[in-house]
Amino acid sequence: MSDAPTTGMSAYDSHGHEVSKFQIYVQIAMLLAVITGIEIVCVYLPFARSLLFSALVFFSAVKFLFVIFFFMHLRWDKPFCTILFFIGLTLAGGTMWALLTLFSATASRPLTM
Amino acid sequence: MSSQAATLTIDHHHDPSTSTGIPNKKLLMWAFLASDCMFFGALISTHLVYRLHPPAGGLDPKQIFSPELTSFSTFILLMSSLMMALAVTAIQKGNVKSCRWSLLTTIFFGMIFLGCQVFEFTEFVEVKHMTISNSLLGTTFFTLTGTHGCHVAIGVLWLSLMYVRSFKPAAGNPWQKSWLSHQLLHAGTLIVALLATLKVVLSLVFALRDAATFAAGFGHFIASDFLFIVIALLAYGGLVWFARPRGAVQFDEMNAIDVESMGLYWHFVDIVWIVIFTAVYLLEYI
Repeated sequence: MSDAPTTGMSAYDSHGHEVSKFQIYVQIAMLLAVITGIEIVCVYLPFARSLLFSALVFFSAVKFLFVIFFFMHLRWDKPFCTILFFIGLTLAGGTMWALLTLFSATASRPLTM
Repeated sequence: MSSQAATLTIDHHHDPSTSTGIPNKKLLMWAFLASDCMFFGALISTHLVYRLHPPAGGLDPKQIFSPELTSFSTFILLMSSLMMALAVTAIQKGNVKSCRWSLLTTIFFGMIFLGCQVFEFTEFVEVKHMTISNSLLGTTFFTLTGTHGCHVAIGVLWLSLMYVRSFKPAAGNPWQKSWLSHQLLHAGTLIVALLATLKVVLSLVFALRDAATFAAGFGHFIASDFLFIVIALLAYGGLVWFARPRGAVQFDEMNAIDVESMGLYWHFVDIVWIVIFTAVYLLEYI
């Protein structure tokens, strides 16, 4: 049997106080909604494209990680689930990186006419 | 071991009967989601490759996309994820009633998302004249977001079936003799209610959009969709009837892994949309 924070229906904060999952989920959902709002405001700000691009990717990654580790329970599940999912994620990311790099080369530009 | 003692020892994150210690259903779902990552990775890459090399004279996404509608859809999908997480927590505690309400709310949010997508696609085709075959942007956009929409629709169907499953009578319940026909009718009624509601709401939105005045649009909507309104109302009445208390049900914390596996799929649909929202929509505006 695993220890209390990983088995019960409640988590524990840094002081050992019991925190219900309901509160955690609602707080995360509010945080995700706020981040989504910030993302939308970001695109209208007059900053450099590279800065905005980095900010959007960062916010997207934060939302992604919050959902998979809290809503999808990876934080409380066995590490093998995380490893399994990140194998797929890494392959998908590698495929995306390879395709975007390949088609950015002058000789490989897609026929768009 | 008594049933109460068995309930107290349920560990929802560990299954000692498997070699990995992970429930097989959960492991299967994670493996599937890992493969689905690659599927969506390829679709998103294709869209981005063609957006980085747009054809001369092609459509301008900024003139086509509606950031307000997409932001609303994103918010709705995030809230549906919250309700799905609460449904899993509820059934892990054995709270069937709370689980049912959370599932229904998740279905409701899922249908709102699908409704927004149908509205968006209709606008793009009829007003902005972007179809799946007349531009590269249309081809990659509709393929990617349409595939995601299909995933959402499958998720809504799965949620609906799980909701109906939560009413399966327990052994000894007099309703057990006819449970299959009852469950099939219940599922059919729920699906009819969802589809009729989607049709009615979209018809109302389009009627109000196209009419000169509210009264004219509403009058046209009532005249043209009266049958669907009646069907939707009858279906909701049927759902209330099917949901009446009918004794003990065979759905408790032992079924938590089924709800959790479905929840993993639903949250995955959400994280894919998080990526699509940034990569397809927001990046066009910087």
